[in-house]
Amino acid sequence: MSTSPENVIVTRNLTKTYRDFWGRPKVKALNSLSIDVKRGEVFGLLGPNGSGKTTTLKLLLGLLFPTDGEVSILGRPATDVSKNEKIGYLPEESYLYRFLNAEETLDFYGRLFDMPASVRKERTRELIKMVQLDHAKRRQLKEYSKGMTRRIGLAQALINDPELILLDEPTSGLDPIGSRDMKDLIIGLKERGKTVVMCSHLLADVQDVCDRIAILDGGELKVFGRVQDLLKDQGVTQIKTSKLPPEAMKEVEAVLQKHGSKVMEVDNPTATLEELFIKTVRESAARPGQRYIPPSN
Amino acid sequence: MQLSFDPRPFDLLGGLKVWGVVCLVVVALAWGIAGLLMFLQSGAPGLARLIDLTTGLIRDFLQTSPRRVWALAVHTFREAARKRALWVFAVFAVLFLFAGWFMPELKQSPDMAIRNYVSFVLRTITWLTIPVVGLLACWGLPEDIRLRSLHTVVTKPVRRQEIVLGRIVGFLGIGLLVLLIVGSVGYVWIVRQVPENFGQVTARVPIYGELRFLTREGKSEDEQGMEASGVNVGDEAIFRQFVEGNTQARAIWRFEGVDMNRLQNGQLILESTFQSFRTHKGKVDQELLGQFTLVNPKNGVRVPLQTFFNREFRRNSYNVTERNSRGEGGKLELKDEQGRTVDLAKDVLDGGQLDVEVACLSPGQFMGMARPDLFIRLPDRAFLTAYGKGLFSIFLMLTMIVVLGVMSGCFLKGPVATMLTGFIFLVGRLSHDFLQQLTSDKLLDNPKLQMRGRGLLESLYRLPTHLGPQIEVEDNTTQRVIKAIDNIELNALWGVKYLFPDFTQFDATAFVANSFDVPWDAALLPNLATTIGFCVPWIIVGYFALKCRELEAK
Repeated sequence: MSTSPENVIVTRNLTKTYRDFWGRPKVKALNSLSIDVKRGEVFGLLGPNGSGKTTTLKLLLGLLFPTDGEVSILGRPATDVSKNEKIGYLPEESYLYRFLNAEETLDFYGRLFDMPASVRKERTRELIKMVQLDHAKRRQLKEYSKGMTRRIGLAQALINDPELILLDEPTSGLDPIGSRDMKDLIIGLKERGKTVVMCSHLLADVQDVCDRIAILDGGELKVFGRVQDLLKDQGVTQIKTSKLPPEAMKEVEAVLQKHGSKVMEVDNPTATLEELFIKTVRESAARPGQRYIPPSN
Repeated sequence: MQLSFDPRPFDLLGGLKVWGVVCLVVVALAWGIAGLLMFLQSGAPGLARLIDLTTGLIRDFLQTSPRRVWALAVHTFREAARKRALWVFAVFAVLFLFAGWFMPELKQSPDMAIRNYVSFVLRTITWLTIPVVGLLACWGLPEDIRLRSLHTVVTKPVRRQEIVLGRIVGFLGIGLLVLLIVGSVGYVWIVRQVPENFGQVTARVPIYGELRFLTREGKSEDEQGMEASGVNVGDEAIFRQFVEGNTQARAIWRFEGVDMNRLQNGQLILESTFQSFRTHKGKVDQELLGQFTLVNPKNGVRVPLQTFFNREFRRNSYNVTERNSRGEGGKLELKDEQGRTVDLAKDVLDGGQLDVEVACLSPGQFMGMARPDLFIRLPDRAFLTAYGKGLFSIFLMLTMIVVLGVMSGCFLKGPVATMLTGFIFLVGRLSHDFLQQLTSDKLLDNPKLQMRGRGLLESLYRLPTHLGPQIEVEDNTTQRVIKAIDNIELNALWGVKYLFPDFTQFDATAFVANSFDVPWDAALLPNLATTIGFCVPWIIVGYFALKCRELEAK
C-alpha cells in the first residue's frame, strides 16, 4: 500500500470479523474502515461501546489480524515488529506486571527498546516525575490505585519517546485533575510534534484535545473530519459580550429584527463542572481547612 | 551390587541421520498441509503468506537481540521468584532434615548405603524441581496472555522468538539456581552420611568391552552356524548368559584403547559382578571358581591369571599386576601359557586391544555374565565430578521440560499446556521402550526382533480367525495387502515415536549411585544431543504458534 510520508496511519477497507471455533463468522467488529492519520495531529476515535474503536487500535498494533483490507503504520505493515520502535501504546486497562514497582516497570520496558542503562535510568526518573509517582516509585503496582496505574501505564508508553502514541481510553479511571493533566500532556505531546491517536467515549475529552475525529458505530465509519468543522453550525451566529442591561437587550433585538433574524436564546454562560471541580480542589489545597465558596457574578 | 543397565557409546552420526529424516518429514508434512489450507482459504496470496512466514522465520531469528532476550529472562526469573517459586527450597530442607530417620543405616553394606543416599538425593532433586519449574513454564505465557500483560511487551520492538527464548532462559535460570542450591545441600548431606568404615566415596571410570562367547566345545559358532551365545539358565529376562563350569565355554571381552598411560599407576585392575548359578549344592560355603586369561589379539600372547572366587552381589576387584589383594605386596610376575615371563606393556597391551577370557572352573556350575559385568578400572575421579554430571543430566531434563512447557503455552491455555507437557513426559518416561519395541522392525529386518501380529489390520484379521501371534499367516495377496497397509501405519508410528523423547536416559542416578563416573559418550553426549535435537524444533514451533496467534482473539 503506497502511503504519503505525511500520513502516519493509513487504513483501507479494514475489516475484522470474529469467527467461532468452526470458522463461521460470529461478529463483524469492523467494516471497511478507511482513514488517514496525519503526522503531528491528535486524532480521536469515537463511538459507543462495541463500536469497533478498540478493535481498530488492536489491528493497528498487530494484536489482531485483519480479515480483509490493509493497514499501514509509519509506512510499514501492522505486523512488522520494527514499527514498534517509534510507537507508544497505553492499553484500555493497564495490563502491566503487578509484581514490579514503578522503577522496575519502566526499566523493563526500556530494556525492550535496547536502551543503554544510563538512558533508561534518566528516562525512568523523568517519566516518574512527569506522572507524579515519585512518592510511590518503589511500591509494587498491585498496591496502586487505578489512577496511579493509568499514570504508570502512560509512562511506559512514553519510555521510548515515541513518534506515534496510541491511547486507549486515556482518561478512564482518572479523577478530573488527572484527566486534565492527561489532556494537557496530550496537547504537550502534539506541541512537540508527536502524533496521538486516542479512542474514547468521553466526548468532552476528545473535543478538548483532538484535531480530527472519526465516529464509529456498529463497526462502521459514520463521521470523519476536523472537530471544529464538524461542530460548527453555519446557520447560527453566537455573540459573546459583557453583561447587557435590559434596555440594551431590547435594542439588540430590534437590530436583529431589522435584519430578519431573531434571538434564539439569551443566557448567562456557565462554567463546566470540570472547571468548578478543578478550581475547588486547587483552592482547597491553597487554603486547607476552609470551605471554598465560588464567586457569584 | 549389579548393574541393570548397559551403557553403550552414542552413535552421534546415526542419531543426526534419524533426526534429519524426522525433521524433514515433519517439516514437509506441516508445510504441505499449511500450504494446502492457506491456498484453499486465500488462493495464491495464501501461499505467498506462507512463503513470507517461512522466510520471516530466518529473518526474525537472525535479528534476535540477546539484550532483549536477557531482559525478558531476568523479568521471568523475577516473576517466578516473587511468586514464591523458590519455596521449593523449604520443602527440600524439610525432607533432608528428617530423611535420616527413614533411611536404613546398612552398616554391614556401605555400598548399598551409599547407593541409597545418592539415589534418594538425586531422585528428590529431580522430582522436586521438575514439577515446580515445569508448572511455571506451562503457565507463564498463557497467564501473560490471559492477563494481557503480554500486550505491553508485543507492542514494543520484541520479536516472538525473543519472548519464547526469554521465557525459556528465565525458567532455566530458576531451575539452575534451585539445582545448584539443593544439589550443594544434597552433596554435603551425602558426604556426611558416608559410613566411617567406607572411606572416601569416589567415581570409578570403567572401560567396557564387547562380549562374545565360546561354546562348551570352545567354538565361536553353534551347531546351526549362528554366533555362539552363553547358556540360558531359565531367566525370563535374558540379561546375562551363562558359561558352563569346567568346559571350554568362555566369555570373551574385547577392550579397545587400553594403554598403560591410562591405567591407575600402571596397574591393570579388572572389576567384575558375575552371577553364580548352581545346578548342585557343591561346596555351599565356597563361591564358584573362575579364571581370567589375558590375550593380545595382535600377537596371540595368552596370559592365564590366578584363579578367583566369584563373590556374588559385590564388587570383585582383581589387580592383575599387584599382589595386594593377597596381602603379599609387590609386583606380580606375568607368565604366558608356556611359562615365559611377559611384560604387560610390551607384550599384552601392545596395540591397544586386549581380550579377557573368563572361564568357570567349578564343574557342573554356571557363571552368568553380561557386557557391563566386567570392565577395566581406570584411575578414579572425585565423587563430586560424577555428582555434578548427574546434576547436569537433571538440568538437561529440566531444559526439555521447560522448552516443552513454554512451547505448549504458546498455543494452549495453562491447564491444557500442563496436560500436554505431562503427557509427553509420561509417555517418554514410561512407554518409550514399548514404542521402540512396537516399531523395531521399521529399521531392523531381523525377524527375531519383530513383534508379530501387531499391525492394525493384521490384528483385526487374527482375532476372528483365532490365529495367535506365534502362528504365521498364509502368504497370499490379501495378506500382502494387509501387511502393506500395516506397514504404512507402522511407518507413521515410527515417526510419532520420535516426537516423544526418551526421558529415562536423563536419569544418571544409576551411574552416580553405583560409584561410577557419568560417561561422556554413553550418557552426557546422548543427553545433550537429545536435548538440542528436541528443543530446537520445539522453539521453532513455539515461535510460529505465537507469531500466528491473535493475542486478542475472542
